[in-house]
Amino acid sequence: MKRLRRYGPGVAVAAIPLGLALVGPFLVGEPPARAASFTLGGGHRLGTDFVGRDVVHQVLLGGRPVVLVALAATALAYLVALPIGLISALTHRRWLEEVLMRPPDVLLAVPSLLMILLVAAAFPPGAAGLALLVAFVSIPDAARIVRAAAAEAASRPAVEALRMQGESWWRLAVGYVGRSILRTLAADAGIRLTGVLYLVATAAFLGIGVAPDAADWAVMVDRNRTGLLIQPWAVVVPALLIVALTMGANLLVDAAMESRGPSRKGRRP
Amino acid sequence: MIVTVTGLTVEVEGRTLVDRVSLRIRPGTVTALVGASGSGKTTTGLALLGEYPPGARVTGDVAVHGTRIGYVPQHPAAVLNPARRTGALLLDLARQQVRDLPRSQRRTAARLRVTAALADAQLDDAEEVLSRYPHQLSGGQQQRVVLAQALLLGARVVIADEPTTGQDALTKRRIVDQLAQVAGRGIAVLLLSHDLDVVRELADEVVVLRGGRVVEQGPGHRILDAPAHPWTKELLAEPRALPYADPEHAGAEILTVSGLTARHRTGGARVPVLSVDRLTLRSGECLAVVGRSGSGKTTLARCLAGLHRDHTGQILLDGEPLPRSLRDRSREQLAAVQYVFQDARAAFDEHRPVLDQVARTAVRLHGAGSQEATAEARRVLTDLGLDDSLVRRLPGRLSGGELQRAALARALLARPRVLVCDEITSGLDPVTRRSLLDLLATLVRRKDGPGVVLITHDLDTAAPATRVAVLDGGEVVEEGPAEQILTAPRHPFTVSLLGASDRWGAAVRP
Repeated sequence: MKRLRRYGPGVAVAAIPLGLALVGPFLVGEPPARAASFTLGGGHRLGTDFVGRDVVHQVLLGGRPVVLVALAATALAYLVALPIGLISALTHRRWLEEVLMRPPDVLLAVPSLLMILLVAAAFPPGAAGLALLVAFVSIPDAARIVRAAAAEAASRPAVEALRMQGESWWRLAVGYVGRSILRTLAADAGIRLTGVLYLVATAAFLGIGVAPDAADWAVMVDRNRTGLLIQPWAVVVPALLIVALTMGANLLVDAAMESRGPSRKGRRP
Repeated sequence: MIVTVTGLTVEVEGRTLVDRVSLRIRPGTVTALVGASGSGKTTTGLALLGEYPPGARVTGDVAVHGTRIGYVPQHPAAVLNPARRTGALLLDLARQQVRDLPRSQRRTAARLRVTAALADAQLDDAEEVLSRYPHQLSGGQQQRVVLAQALLLGARVVIADEPTTGQDALTKRRIVDQLAQVAGRGIAVLLLSHDLDVVRELADEVVVLRGGRVVEQGPGHRILDAPAHPWTKELLAEPRALPYADPEHAGAEILTVSGLTARHRTGGARVPVLSVDRLTLRSGECLAVVGRSGSGKTTLARCLAGLHRDHTGQILLDGEPLPRSLRDRSREQLAAVQYVFQDARAAFDEHRPVLDQVARTAVRLHGAGSQEATAEARRVLTDLGLDDSLVRRLPGRLSGGELQRAALARALLARPRVLVCDEITSGLDPVTRRSLLDLLATLVRRKDGPGVVLITHDLDTAAPATRVAVLDGGEVVEEGPAEQILTAPRHPFTVSLLGASDRWGAAVRP
């Protein structure tokens, strides 16, 4: 019951866009016949889009690229950032730390969207390429957070005590330091996912990595905004779904944090 | 009467932390709450502020009559904003109080208030302190800045939580004098302490707590000189007099430090903080290293253990040089020199049961199987008086004394030849401290027991050692048999160190 109250809101908000994105493509049948652009009714529950396709059909198909690319990019970014951050926090070799942390710092100086646009102009990417690209520009931030959190944990006496016991690097880094910084990382992952979604959606909005008429929530928002005043659903529904996904993800992370945090203060007499 | 507590009971999850405690505090007096750790001192103290542990059920009554209450925690740095200078911290508070004055007078009025509060808090070098950041102040100065904050807000009652714990004799002496002067200015002090020398010196009224209950309560001199309750008697018992090591037993030289210079990095520069020409340890003996905080004791200990790498010179184990960093030491070398940390709680991983963590030593350093290691860990822990159900818990569920024993067990599982104990008894109450030191003595007295380097600021703890080395400003000023150093000191610093603890009745008993 307590659990339901804690995780309920997050699950409720995130479930709709996630469910649509993952299951949607299996639910759609043959695309209904095209109608005129930006119409309402006529068998189309949410009307038609800029080229007269059924909006419900497009919404069901359009979640997968956005959500999968965002999730994959976040996971990929952490896959690289975690070892970089942990190694540089735990090493006592200055040069190793410099070698690991300086290149991401250089990357950090370039605005990430600009970077994506530049690379995409040179090598037009597909969905996988976009995920890689977004992950790449997210690594510096993630690595810095990991390093900062891990550096604090790595300077605790517990780490010295583990070294005194001759523990392996793996046990130190993952077993102790990694575990100690879990809360910080979970909070960061929630924010990072939001940031990545923003990047992926913006890239799609700008037509990077997707066809101009692709079934994609971000592309839908872009293409259909010309008809916003005649047929708002084609913009509002995909936009709301993207918002719901980031909000839900952050609510879930918050709830998970809270369940591990301290309980409330005692009462006054 | 400025504070009256009647029948205060605090329960958390069915455990009673404080059980029907009643006390009265008069202005200008020092009331001491005395007891072992976990006896409910801090809980009672915080109750005066209206603070209770999470999820507490509170009954009884706390009445504070027309004043604010100041709280000086054991670690004062934790309540000072590290990003702002002390002056700014205090002026911010003062400015709140001079709002109703005309704008032109506010600045001077605020400054005056700060100066007055600093004087009340016994900070003499006020200008210097005000221009510094909290981390640039000593522990004692931080304590007084927090005190000044409380006084600035108009507190007439100040709670001092373990103000002398972990301080050396000279600093302790100063803190005691200052608290006495604070009380002399009409401010009521509630002293939470297990340091009975301090209590003896200061307290007008003593309340002895055990397991949250008041076992004895009355005027300081009566409780301390003629205790009625057996528990109070146990608290007041003399410190250990029997030597830790058997002098007959001392064997060959195992550890030799020669020409050691250790540096710390401050800003960009590497500043030498410790230089030791020669220091030796024989097997089966106990070498106490005493000195004030900042004298380089801990740096010496950390150099021996390989935790402080930035040093030149040699540390020889059985004539073989030890690598400077423990990362370069072999398993045998790691096992041979073990280190027990001052803060046992911080030295354990809070997520894993104590038993598992202790057993890892045998797995890593002696290649034992995990079953075998657990069995051995259990045996050693039981030996040290920690039963099985206790050590299966997470470290958070054990008391400070129990954790320190577990830390000792963790080091012992390596079967070390040299055991470096860094202030392992500071922060423990007298009863727990005595039992831990007795334990150490049985270890040293065992056949092929380790040689012990005992780092301490407490002369009572150092007195039963075989030899004593006195450190001051990073140099060994005097070294020799404990009895000689503590009864006939030659160096003026040793004399002053002994004098500081002599003057208040707790004479060193060699």
